[in-house]
Amino acid sequence: MDNSTSIKKNSLNSISFGSNIILNLIFLICVVACVGPLMLVLSISFTSEQAIRNGGYKFIPREFSMAAYDYVLKAGDAIWKAYGVSIFVTLVGTLLSLMVICMYAYPLSRPTFKYKGFFSFIAYFTMIFGGGIVPWIMVYTQLFRINNTVWILIFPYLMNAWFVMIMRTFYKTTIPDAIIESARIDGAGEFRTFFVIVLPLCRAGLATIGLFCTLNFWNDWYLPLMFVTERKFFNIQYLMYQTLVSIQYLTSGSANFSEAAVVLAKLPTEGARMAIAVLSIGPIIFAYPFFQKYFVKGLTVGAVKG
Amino acid sequence: MKSMKRYFSLALVLVFALTVALTGCGSKTETPAASTETKAETKTEAKADAKPAGEQTELTFYCVADSQPEMQKIADAATEYLKDKINVKVKAENFGWGDTYTPKINPMLASGQNVDVVFTSNWAANFYVNANAGYFTDLTPYLKNSKIKEIVGEDFLKGSAINGKNFAVPTNKEKVHNWGVLLKKDLADKYKVDPKAIKKLEDLEPVFEKIKAGEQGVYPLLNVQMEGPFKLLDWDNISDDDIPGVLYSDNRDTKIINQFESPEAVALYKKMREYYKKGWIHADAPTQDNFSEEMKTGKYFAVVQSMKPGKAEEMKLSTNIDWVQVDITKPIMTNRETTGAMLAIPAGCKNPDKAFKFIEMLYTDKFLKNLFVYGIEKEHYTKVSDNVVKLTENKGYRAGNGWRFGDQFSDYLLDNEDPQKWEKFKAYNAAGLPMKSLGFVFDNKNVENEIGAVKNVVQKHYKQIWTGAVDPEPALKKWSEEMKAAGVDKILAEMQKQYDAWLKANGK
Repeated sequence: MDNSTSIKKNSLNSISFGSNIILNLIFLICVVACVGPLMLVLSISFTSEQAIRNGGYKFIPREFSMAAYDYVLKAGDAIWKAYGVSIFVTLVGTLLSLMVICMYAYPLSRPTFKYKGFFSFIAYFTMIFGGGIVPWIMVYTQLFRINNTVWILIFPYLMNAWFVMIMRTFYKTTIPDAIIESARIDGAGEFRTFFVIVLPLCRAGLATIGLFCTLNFWNDWYLPLMFVTERKFFNIQYLMYQTLVSIQYLTSGSANFSEAAVVLAKLPTEGARMAIAVLSIGPIIFAYPFFQKYFVKGLTVGAVKG
Repeated sequence: MKSMKRYFSLALVLVFALTVALTGCGSKTETPAASTETKAETKTEAKADAKPAGEQTELTFYCVADSQPEMQKIADAATEYLKDKINVKVKAENFGWGDTYTPKINPMLASGQNVDVVFTSNWAANFYVNANAGYFTDLTPYLKNSKIKEIVGEDFLKGSAINGKNFAVPTNKEKVHNWGVLLKKDLADKYKVDPKAIKKLEDLEPVFEKIKAGEQGVYPLLNVQMEGPFKLLDWDNISDDDIPGVLYSDNRDTKIINQFESPEAVALYKKMREYYKKGWIHADAPTQDNFSEEMKTGKYFAVVQSMKPGKAEEMKLSTNIDWVQVDITKPIMTNRETTGAMLAIPAGCKNPDKAFKFIEMLYTDKFLKNLFVYGIEKEHYTKVSDNVVKLTENKGYRAGNGWRFGDQFSDYLLDNEDPQKWEKFKAYNAAGLPMKSLGFVFDNKNVENEIGAVKNVVQKHYKQIWTGAVDPEPALKKWSEEMKAAGVDKILAEMQKQYDAWLKANGK
């Protein structure tokens, strides 16, 4: 009795038992599809080399071994240095990038700003047209001359027109004009209004853009590939990219030189590659829970109302 | 109130970070500018008094191979060594192989950066494309009076030239190649295989049979992707392995054919089908993708490989398995060798004279060459005898691969290598048959789309047929039709046209 009444009570808002199971199943499958490969990578990285060769990939390591990590971590100081570069670039890059994006987007969101159209156009323009790779490289290497400094890994990604648009919408929808007016009446200048009133109200938006920037910087291997020629500025993703693509290339059969087989045999094995992959997702995975609580709100506010 | 304070301090941090960044950036922009100034000065100075070792300039040297943790030490040692010779500050780095090296070097060349010496070849940093685009300095005048000409040999230099101009200097190494099989030594001994008696793959069939019957879990023949018995047909490729268009490698004629449909290939497909049915080839062969990993499992008896003297020992080092080397085809010299490993001077180089001297020293100076191959003595290796070294446990520098640049015959030998290795290489080179097509470069710009389409068709079909996983006749029929539809005839006609014109122009 009790049971049926409770079902009746909630029947307006709740879904039926059957569809509940189906929905749960669907999401369960999604979760397995996302987590499964990750667990597999983790497991392979802890499996001994011989077991991988003979038994293939298994979710539970047949022979537990730390040899892959031993190999990766002892291969000189490269991994630690690359880690350092990645972490520095991600932290500093995210902060600077947030700063630039927020400060560019804010005036665009103010109805009183006279050159709004012009500055919006400049940002939009870069989304549609680019100068091409070679001029882009020449700007950094021959005009700014910041290749082979750590800043080359940060500056090209500082400004992102798409994030500016998201942020502008976010300001528009969350900050009522009345608040800014009252701040002005209380005697706050533009900077004070921005830093003390506007930014704290936009935490969700900041977190969203912050997460995007963090991932951008952390996952980047393209800038080191294009610009960096000194090993001390290689980041972790580039190290991984170099190993993986080298192996791919040498096994593809297009490596048309007789020494390919010998070279290939000396490259890190399956397990070592997976170990690098695990190490490279290591720290960034902890950024998610931190951003999560703002993330959903930030995205929906930025998107739906915009 | 409290939270306001917090956000204010956050804002302060942000502002501070920006200032740091800007000042950091400022100082960084200053230094290179300053260094270019000094560079400009040294240039004029060097011209003024023409001392062999003028003021120190920077010399960048980029090469294939895995990036090494202690590369800086090697570069510093080279700088120290070259101080009173050409006086350069060496900056060197390796950027992986092929597809990681090429996208790194190409933009460098295209944007005219000041780079001095780069590795290039037909498989890395697109030698033909970049040379034709004018990104490399013409080295012909430099080579005229250089010792490199004697060391490498005039024929080989000519083979690597484009229209008579040398845009890069090839390594002096093995200049020919042949194909053969490596047999797993323990099994070869057990079944009493005489390597000298084997002249073709079929000669191994009785052994394959015995191994299939007698050895649990061992597959007689490894056949993965392009690394399989198809290589034993030994074509003189006009373009890549997966693009139709080859010549017979015995110089019998000048007709370019489609190797995938040749009678020799069809016979091989049938043979592979037979092997596959007998279980001599792994049932999953069409989907296996890493022959090196497969080799290391020790589950295969015979492996088709590109041969050279000492191949078995070399593979023992990397696979930890003892092999017996069986040469099957005769050594030939093709474009694959002549442009297989070279050093070039990009057009953006500010000191081509010094750069060329550096390249020359890699051929003539044993110390410098071995420094870049093995590292620093007592740190990365120890000398066993005058010309034999043993690598130390230290893993900071393991570049190896002395075939990448300079004169490989001046490399030290490893303690487990054949002491006669270089003599054997020289004899091997002398035995090679030079192809008529040596020096011919196919320009694919008229048939680029067709090549892309045909390549896709080849990639789609070849694995199943080459490994014998499908019945060859219907499969080949389908493959041929698809190749035709993708424009294979146009490619072959274009190749033939260019080749005939080239033959005529070169009076062959």
